[in-house]
Amino acid sequence: MRLFVAALLLLAAGCRSSTSSDSSFNKGSASTRGGELTASIRTEPRNFARLGPREATTDLVATLTQASLIRINRVTDDVEPWLAESWTRSADGRQYTIKLRPNVRFSDGHPLSADDVLFSFEAAYAAGWADSLQVDGKPLKVAVIDPLTVMLTFPVPFAPGLRILDNMIVLPRHKLQDILKKGALQTAWGLSTPPSELAGLGPFVLSEYQPGQRLVFVRNPQYWRRDNSGAQLPYLDRITLDVVPEQSTELLRLESGQSDTTASEMPADAYASLKRGADAGTLRLFDLGPGLYPDFLSFNLKPDAFAGDPRASWLQRDELRRAISLAVDRRAFADTVFLGAGVPVFGPVSPANKRWYWAGTPKIPHDPAQAKRLLASIGITDEHPARFTILTQKGRPTFERGVAVIRDELKKIGITVDVAALEGNAVIQQIVSGRYDAVYFNFFLSDTDPALSADFWLSSGSEHFWNLEQKTPATDWEGRIDELIRAQAVASDDAERKRMFDKVQEIFVEHHPMIYFVAPRIFVGSSTRLGNVMPAVSRPQLLWSPDTLTVTH
Amino acid sequence: MTGYIARRLTFAVVLVFAVSSASLMLARFAPGDYVTESLGVNARRAAVDAARARYGLNRTFGEQYRDWLVGALHLDFGRSMQYDRPVADLIPERAVNTGILAFSALAVATLIGLPLGVVTGTRRRGIVPAAIRAASLVLLSMPPLLTSLFLVFVAAKSGWLPVGGMTSSGGEGLLRHMIVPVAALALPLVAMFERLQSQAMSETIGQPYVVATFGRGVPLSRVIWRDALKNALRPIASIYGLVVGTLLSGSFAVETVTAWPGLGQLMLGALRARDVYLVAGCAAAGSVFLAIGTLMSDAALAMVDPRTAD
Repeated sequence: MRLFVAALLLLAAGCRSSTSSDSSFNKGSASTRGGELTASIRTEPRNFARLGPREATTDLVATLTQASLIRINRVTDDVEPWLAESWTRSADGRQYTIKLRPNVRFSDGHPLSADDVLFSFEAAYAAGWADSLQVDGKPLKVAVIDPLTVMLTFPVPFAPGLRILDNMIVLPRHKLQDILKKGALQTAWGLSTPPSELAGLGPFVLSEYQPGQRLVFVRNPQYWRRDNSGAQLPYLDRITLDVVPEQSTELLRLESGQSDTTASEMPADAYASLKRGADAGTLRLFDLGPGLYPDFLSFNLKPDAFAGDPRASWLQRDELRRAISLAVDRRAFADTVFLGAGVPVFGPVSPANKRWYWAGTPKIPHDPAQAKRLLASIGITDEHPARFTILTQKGRPTFERGVAVIRDELKKIGITVDVAALEGNAVIQQIVSGRYDAVYFNFFLSDTDPALSADFWLSSGSEHFWNLEQKTPATDWEGRIDELIRAQAVASDDAERKRMFDKVQEIFVEHHPMIYFVAPRIFVGSSTRLGNVMPAVSRPQLLWSPDTLTVTH
Repeated sequence: MTGYIARRLTFAVVLVFAVSSASLMLARFAPGDYVTESLGVNARRAAVDAARARYGLNRTFGEQYRDWLVGALHLDFGRSMQYDRPVADLIPERAVNTGILAFSALAVATLIGLPLGVVTGTRRRGIVPAAIRAASLVLLSMPPLLTSLFLVFVAAKSGWLPVGGMTSSGGEGLLRHMIVPVAALALPLVAMFERLQSQAMSETIGQPYVVATFGRGVPLSRVIWRDALKNALRPIASIYGLVVGTLLSGSFAVETVTAWPGLGQLMLGALRARDVYLVAGCAAAGSVFLAIGTLMSDAALAMVDPRTAD
């Protein structure tokens, strides 16, 4: 498969500019043009635009029906021009002048203009879900220069630049302006909205929604993108998303040919079935390598969380977390939890994040004797045993198996673990309120670039899992991470940014606020008739570029 | 009889009120809420507070319950947070889907289970009654989740039937999609009806009036199907309505495994998301069905045995 060049970078007169060089791909032949793809989704979307909180199915609907100024290629992780045809950057790195593609129309025929871009920013900030569109806690400023040009000003220089716009869809002002004025944008385009009232710039339009059953999308006749031979995209006539809540039923539908693929990865225990199908030539199996965001064990490191608790002397110590990391056999963990389909991980960035992974991440050995010595140094011995509770989400087999392995491994070094499995939202409430000892959990960061997931790294961040939203850094090492993250977010040299972020990972691994054990391998299956597939490790693995997909029919 | 029905109706109203109120309270007081689930652990507190205010989750339970009760009296059961639609719109469309499954399963179970029960109840020996009894025991011991998983597996591997869903975008109709979930619901019911009917039948044919009828030379089949059967229907009649109510309340496992968009699936999703008004609405609908089922059961029992209405 031939992947593509994303943007041409020019340096001229103190400005950096980028012009569009459209993605290339294996173009669909006449025999593969048209046809219908059927995929299964586990849940229904929350609305028909991405106007509310992020959620996988809502994001997929937006991917099918909407478009943004730029796109992050999920395979190369590069920024590609999308509705923005080209842009230039000012010398100080704060201002971007963006040229929109000419002759682009919404699915209802209304032409796209710079006013729609301005409106989309206003809408995103008004809807209250635009945390990811802020830099240094401040919104971006947008000005219309002419009908096809906008100027975007960042509050401070920002190294990822327009990458920040990947999640911002361009909305039709003519459809939503009145709704925004009424203050009703947050509930606009809900599931009861007739498809005829929707309009977007994506490759498909919603034609039918059957609650609890399916969403049907048909080709957007106004879609702006063309392949290298000038043929209008998308290749497919129709995409159907069937709601199948049960994962085992999803797999059976795929095996029986009633579905072409799934919107998200399959669990490790589906591998054998998919492999049998692939060997028999009835299915295609994509092994996409380790996932981006492994499950983790995190301790409550809020300074006053254990005031008056006799365990306070050891429960928040680095030595305890290092001992746990040494005590757990990661290979056995991968075998038990992911049936062998996992890769040991030792730091906060998975090897799947090729651009930002620190190659020097130390490989922590399985060494229970050293773990016991570390525990003894903080007063945990056979005479003074340790006991704490790990909170996890019930109904998630990998969580339940993972915690069981940790419990058994820690028992060998004299630590007793009590497991409390709760519903997902109950776990979240406990975490947010700070009422827990330790938690085994998972969450996805908003981007692979550390500057775009600063809320996780910065001590003041809402995603700083082990001690949320600190006023001042609780520890010196968190203060040092803050400095490095802030510095790399404004650095203009990519190599310098990488060096700084490597240092962040080094500090993180030294203090282990979150302990990572194994990243599961990501598997996705598809029917053999699916073509032009560009599989990516992040969701939706096969559907992230729906306009170039083909089916033989 | 009128007084009897009035008493049962009063009971039904109290049941619906109690169940829906209790479910609203439980969903509200369970740890976490819709906002924690939908915004996740990494949401900013200001965003969480704003979302709670928008959904009315920042009010006291008393205020929330009062408003819900006032609305419910006008058949306004609130707005689903997940779907952003009125609960009163969502429930009927899903209840119809569940109703299709429930009544089909009941019809299949009745048409197969009752005759089989008569056969095993009147013939103690022989390969056929023994095989029916053994099959019933197996089916009774299999939970619906397992039965539905097995049937979905068979459908997928054989390619005979569609796997999951209510219709196919390819045009396959409702009837073919119904077979797996209806069978998953009906098979344990067939076994239950067979066992109950068998027991009742074997007791009835030992009664003096039945023996006397035989003695007068009336043919065996006529005694069984005309005289004994009516009296042997009492145990079935006493549970029939409850079975209807339970089926209509939603079969969580079967609907989830077979991707059937019914009330059970809707309620399961609402419970997971802590969509409090939808949980309360689903529970109210379930209790209405249960109340109707109980009423039907009582009426059927009164017809079979008029002494029960006294």
